[in-house]
Amino acid sequence: MILNIKNLTKIYDTGTKALTDVSFDVTEGEFLVIIGLSGSGKSTLLRCINRLIDPTSGEIWFNGKDIAKAKGRQLRETRRQIGMVFQQFNLVKRSSVLTNVISGRLGYMNPMWSLTNYTPRSIRQDAMRALEKVGIPDKAYNRADELSGGQQQRVGIARALMQNPRIILADEPVASLDPVLAHSILGYLEKLNKEQGVTIICSLHYLDLVQRYATRVIGLRDGKIVYEGDNTSIRKMTDTQFKEVYGEEAQRMGSGLLGESA
Amino acid sequence: MMEETAKSRFSVPRIPIVGGVLSIIPGLGQVYGGFIMRGVLLFLFIASLYALSLWRMDNAGIDISTYPSYNADDLNKKQEQAFIFATLAILLTTVGYVWNIYDGYVSAGGKPSPALVPGLFITIATLIIGAHITEIDIAKAVNEIGDVSPRLKQILWPWNPDDSAFTREVETFDGVAMWETPCDDTPVKQPTHTEGESYIEIDSVCGSISGLRKPDGSRDEGTTINIKGYDFRPGEEAELVLKPGSVPEFRVVVEGERVRVIPDENGEFELSFVMPNFTIPATATTSTPVEITVRQKQEVGSLKLSEDFWLSFEGIIETLFLALMATIAGLVLAVPVSFLAARNLMSTSRITIAAYYIIRVILNVVRSIEPIVWALIAIIWVGAGPFAGVLALTIHTIASLAKLYSEAIESIDPGPIEAIQATGADRLQTIMYAVVPQVIPPFVSFTIYRWDINVRMSTIIGAVGGGGIGLVLIQWIRLAKYDSVGIAVWMIAIVVTILDYASARIREQYV
Repeated sequence: MILNIKNLTKIYDTGTKALTDVSFDVTEGEFLVIIGLSGSGKSTLLRCINRLIDPTSGEIWFNGKDIAKAKGRQLRETRRQIGMVFQQFNLVKRSSVLTNVISGRLGYMNPMWSLTNYTPRSIRQDAMRALEKVGIPDKAYNRADELSGGQQQRVGIARALMQNPRIILADEPVASLDPVLAHSILGYLEKLNKEQGVTIICSLHYLDLVQRYATRVIGLRDGKIVYEGDNTSIRKMTDTQFKEVYGEEAQRMGSGLLGESA
Repeated sequence: MMEETAKSRFSVPRIPIVGGVLSIIPGLGQVYGGFIMRGVLLFLFIASLYALSLWRMDNAGIDISTYPSYNADDLNKKQEQAFIFATLAILLTTVGYVWNIYDGYVSAGGKPSPALVPGLFITIATLIIGAHITEIDIAKAVNEIGDVSPRLKQILWPWNPDDSAFTREVETFDGVAMWETPCDDTPVKQPTHTEGESYIEIDSVCGSISGLRKPDGSRDEGTTINIKGYDFRPGEEAELVLKPGSVPEFRVVVEGERVRVIPDENGEFELSFVMPNFTIPATATTSTPVEITVRQKQEVGSLKLSEDFWLSFEGIIETLFLALMATIAGLVLAVPVSFLAARNLMSTSRITIAAYYIIRVILNVVRSIEPIVWALIAIIWVGAGPFAGVLALTIHTIASLAKLYSEAIESIDPGPIEAIQATGADRLQTIMYAVVPQVIPPFVSFTIYRWDINVRMSTIIGAVGGGGIGLVLIQWIRLAKYDSVGIAVWMIAIVVTILDYASARIREQYV
């Protein structure tokens, strides 16, 4: 077991209860998909795991340590083992693709180097290899905002790869992309998952993608876990179960796509 | 319109007549009716317009206790004007006041009347008072435009050959003779002259200067000397110059006019003058020789740029560098400050938020003090000169750039920051990798813009002693040397235009 979430609760300063008493385990090598409506707490949950958001209470056991209250060096060392991929890619648009990829290694580098813009040769080579893995080594010296959405997300994955992560958190990684690109991006994540054993925790919107890639599924609604199922059970998911996750208004799309609640 | 959507604070209407009566004090009826803002504004406008009208008359020396009954003959022109302006304003305000009572009545009933027309009256009254306070006199501006046009012409085009932007070299043609006072046994030696060059002859070689007391008590009238000149340039003015002994040479002035002569067509002239008084050095034991020169001047050679031109040129270079140094010093100091003044970076803990507010307040205060005031402080601090100008502009630049920079930092995309943090980067790395690349374009843009502003400001700062072109500019303005003013104005205009264009181009590239 690589990750063990116990009674995680997050209440924002505004009083919004984003997560209520969420508990689940993640086994190493899983492709865990989190489903739920916008605002159901998926993003909050993912950001609590790498502590971009501080949980209000609860425990996050990663690698045998509770990191829910980790600070400073311990937090850095935890974060660098957890890669993250974002819906809006979150690249530094004006920096080169290579620089964006290199920034994935920052958790391992001496902070003082950042002042001089110095990057050891070996790290640059690693960055090129990461770009090769996602198939865009020729774009290394382009500005990040010159790339298409799909290419940008591949840079985002390459950046996460630079961390040599044990887990990759992917927050709706394909929500801004068209279906063909979505399969391509999730294909890279699946490859990492299968070939290198990287654990993936990914939030998704489209049911057919969930059914295609997930080895396990957790459904969130109003900050609570309302559904848990494995790969086989999600294929048999009934409309009733579906409505439990997505609310009464939710409908199954003909192609198996699930739209945002109407 | 506001009136149509205005809502009373009270859901139940008040008694209209009470509102009308209360509005004898402007706005009170409206307040009673629940339209508090409306009431306060009405009171402020009406009360202050009456007060301002009375003040203008009082200021002009009219006894306002007897207003409006005056004998027109008792008022001088200034008072008459004040009376007319103030009375107009009072009449218009009174229209507003009467309306205010009606409005107090209907407001109390819950429906204030539209304020457009009375608002117009009050606005016109305000403009009338404003015109009187600022002494606006359009007739004067039109009538006296003739006075300004020759000067404006000089300022707009200071590049005519005989303007102060240019000089020529001057060649002199001298005829020299020697004379001495008092007479002694050895006559003073006359200079020789080269054939073909101008020369003069004098009818006496010695004598007395005027104004000395003679033994009998009377004043010496001074020797009259007749000069004949030959081989001068015909028709061109020559002037008389004396150089007694070791005393510096001077032009001879009689009754306020320089002694001048114009040679005839043969280049000859006759001139007589009385040897004027001058101080004979106390050490003189023998007679003092006096060099008598009749001098013609001719401008020769091509036009050259004058000293004033080069003073302007040096001034504008000083100004450019003054602005550059201030901008760079401001940039270097504003960058760290701006990070501390950026809300999104400083909202991590209470201490940082407190620091954010303190820095913001300091920046606002420093920025609200004009550079010219900082220049006066800097002059006390380090003395007049360009360094004072640099200091003054630097202080103001830090404050304004730090504010612009911090706003640029506040408006950056938070996504990359989140992504970089997620990799395990620390605070410094996050700033260097996620914040800096995003803020460089706006920083470059603001900095160049600021240099632009600093060049323009340093011309003003120079005028109070901060160095640069402003210093020479203000001196020429005071000396009424409008053609030289024109040179400086041209230099400033050219440099500002170039800088404007360049900064626009550079900013285009970076954004």
